[in-house]
Amino acid sequence: MLLALLLCYAGFTALCLSTDRHHGELLRSKPSPQRRLGWRASGWLLLLGSIWPAVAVAGWSQGLVEWCAVLMLSALLLVLLLPYLPRLALSLAGAGLLASPVAAFVTL
Amino acid sequence: MKEGFRQAMAWLHTWVGLIFGWLLFAIFLTGTLAYFKDEITHWMQPEVQAHPLDDARSLTVAQAYLQQHAPDAARWFITLPNSRDPGLSVMWQDKLDPGKRGNFVQKVVDPVSGEAVLARDSKGGEFFYRFHFQLQMPHPWGRWLSTLAAMVMFVALITGIITHKKIFKDFFTFRPRKGQRSWLDGHNAVGVLVLPFHLMITYSSLVIFMSMVMPAPIMASYGADTRAFFSEMFPATDNAPALGQPAPLQSLVPMYTQARAQWAGGQVGRLAVNNPGDVNASVNIFRAGSDRVAQDFGSMVSFNGATGELLRVGGGQSLPALIGGTFYGLHMGHFATPVLRWLYFICGLAGTAMIGTGLVMWLGKRQLKHARTGVMPYELRLVETLNIASMSGLLIAIGAFFWANRLLPASFAERSDWEVQAFFIAWGLSLLHAALRRGRRGWIEQLSCAALLLGAVPLLNAITTEQHLGVSLARGDWAMAGFDLTCLGSGVFLAWAAWKMRCRMAPQPTAERALGLNLTREAR
Repeated sequence: MLLALLLCYAGFTALCLSTDRHHGELLRSKPSPQRRLGWRASGWLLLLGSIWPAVAVAGWSQGLVEWCAVLMLSALLLVLLLPYLPRLALSLAGAGLLASPVAAFVTL
Repeated sequence: MKEGFRQAMAWLHTWVGLIFGWLLFAIFLTGTLAYFKDEITHWMQPEVQAHPLDDARSLTVAQAYLQQHAPDAARWFITLPNSRDPGLSVMWQDKLDPGKRGNFVQKVVDPVSGEAVLARDSKGGEFFYRFHFQLQMPHPWGRWLSTLAAMVMFVALITGIITHKKIFKDFFTFRPRKGQRSWLDGHNAVGVLVLPFHLMITYSSLVIFMSMVMPAPIMASYGADTRAFFSEMFPATDNAPALGQPAPLQSLVPMYTQARAQWAGGQVGRLAVNNPGDVNASVNIFRAGSDRVAQDFGSMVSFNGATGELLRVGGGQSLPALIGGTFYGLHMGHFATPVLRWLYFICGLAGTAMIGTGLVMWLGKRQLKHARTGVMPYELRLVETLNIASMSGLLIAIGAFFWANRLLPASFAERSDWEVQAFFIAWGLSLLHAALRRGRRGWIEQLSCAALLLGAVPLLNAITTEQHLGVSLARGDWAMAGFDLTCLGSGVFLAWAAWKMRCRMAPQPTAERALGLNLTREAR
């Protein structure tokens, strides 16, 4: 479930960065259209990709339930962190992505 | 035309949300607590000791106990201890004339010594579980009211998605410290981010009660004989009658082993023995709900108790039954591992918060109009009172329930009923208090009271039992320790909320005016 959580959180952060407003708040710049598309595509890929580790560990029925739970909670966490600790929110996503190979190695 | 539709939906969302919001808040909060039903029961009956799990030993002990204390009962029920609930629970039903239902007697037996545990009489987490769909009302009415509330919740969710159409565009938006705007942001954020959970929990609650709400399909297929439907759905109710010839009951352990082999090692949840000591005794062994997501009530193995012969293996659901069972399983979350259980709990709290913020917003919007005169009309005053009592009052009532559990003497007559009384007395008092104290002052006082009650739970536990945090943590009793820590955490959170409201209260006039200006600007 940890790997799915890391991927979901990073995915939502990428989707968040694909919007003008949040990109401005977090990175203090306006994204170019290509950038925006890149963030959006990688966000959706990460979210969809996070299904696989959840299902691989726990099977389809339990895995999908866990994936849904992780999906909701990672978004909730991100939205709660954004206004208070935007830097932490961003660096958590980066750290999560960096740690995901380790998590993959441990859980899969 | 389009705008008119959206306005109609907004109207429905606003008013349906208000009328049922108070009830839904209570249903959601107590239902959320019910995810930790077993852990709460464990805290409320600290006399029940946790032992390493050994099903064969537990089963032998339970059978010996029942043989000794209830050889002539009509039925025995044995619930095996599991990692969440350490108690070996045995229950029996007295034999009466045919057509009458005998009384049930329930005991918790120590799975090692075989003696009944003298646990304090308490409803434990079962109270919250029962309350969230029966609402402490006489039999069909509570279920009907809570089902009605679930339908209204479903309507409120769908109209809410239409009303707040910007929720998907503003998916990541939450702007704190901006008065009304923050409440709306918070309402939308917990609404949309946890939307799959909201839809699942609301829809599945309707599925669970579908045979009550919509009996027409059952009647159409089964005619007046609706019993036939239920015995098909729940095959365990269809057992051979007693013949009146005594015969000793075989040991339950080999049957237990055979049943588990049928399920490829699946766990056993409960055993039911019908007519023990009769030649026609039958033993039904039910699979634990924690094994799979989809609940299958027919998943059981039936034996002849006198010979030990396997009679039938139930299970294998049809597709509609599988879908229904999946909704049931998803709602209950029996299958959830500790981490997933916590996620369920957080989702439930998010749902509660969504309802709470909605109620606060309804009032906040209308209060603004009267902020200048300082005189509130009667109906707004009523809504304010109900808001305070239904939210912070419920928290006080929950705290009072836990305190009553520790403070009422164990020998007190009808003890468990008095715990429940304490819950409702505290809730009633908070309603009275909310009616007398106005606005923020009422909120602050009630939140502080709830913070004190919940935050002091670990202390109370340490004083009244020998299972304080030091002991439970050292022993690895996470249910006990987790309960203490969660109460402490909620206490701290509520204290923070009360403190926040106090800070806001001091410079109220200017803040209120600025808020009004902001809102008018946004309205343009």
